[in-house]
Amino acid sequence: MVEFTHLLFAILAAPYIAAVLMYTARAVKGPTVPDIILAVDCMSYDLAVFLALLSVYYRSPLMIAPAILLALWAYLLDVFASKYLVSKEVGA
Amino acid sequence: MTSDLVFWAGVVVVFVGGVFDFIAGLGMLRFPNFYVRLHAATIGTIYGAVLPLIGVALMALGSPIPNNTFIAGGCLATALVLFLVAPIGSHLLAYAAHKARAVEWSPVVDQLGEEE
Repeated sequence: MVEFTHLLFAILAAPYIAAVLMYTARAVKGPTVPDIILAVDCMSYDLAVFLALLSVYYRSPLMIAPAILLALWAYLLDVFASKYLVSKEVGA
Repeated sequence: MTSDLVFWAGVVVVFVGGVFDFIAGLGMLRFPNFYVRLHAATIGTIYGAVLPLIGVALMALGSPIPNNTFIAGGCLATALVLFLVAPIGSHLLAYAAHKARAVEWSPVVDQLGEEE
């Protein structure tokens, strides 16, 4: 039963790890700044899902709070980076 | 019995979300320019992050682990925040990239650029 649970969570987590690797490749070689920001966004949303999955796997609710913080952090990155791209200053 | 059903429904939803996320990663890697990659990124956020978070909430509700309603509530709150926030972020990024002329592309028609 224990090995079955390990196998189930490994199968569930494998596509997310592959997608995070592909997003990382795009973030490393992305030709423009918006590409890099988009790849980092997708990476952090995927990490939020992965943290939720880990919290079910480890039977501990400690990893749920960072998930919502990661989502809001990626939105903050979007807002400030696009404000810098448009008006060439970050502002308050 | 019912909790098993809820758990396996969550497993199916998380697996479908993983397949969508894999496809979004492939598109992110292979698409030619930024505006086309934006399509892959939005698939990766809505079908690849919001849907699996609802699935993880179902998995937590259906399994007999301690504090499972806490985990499910956190997952649902994160899914709601992502559902509201991710489209705003990608629209902002597309507008900023077009405004700053950061992307080199050869459009058939660019009416937003003609207006300026």
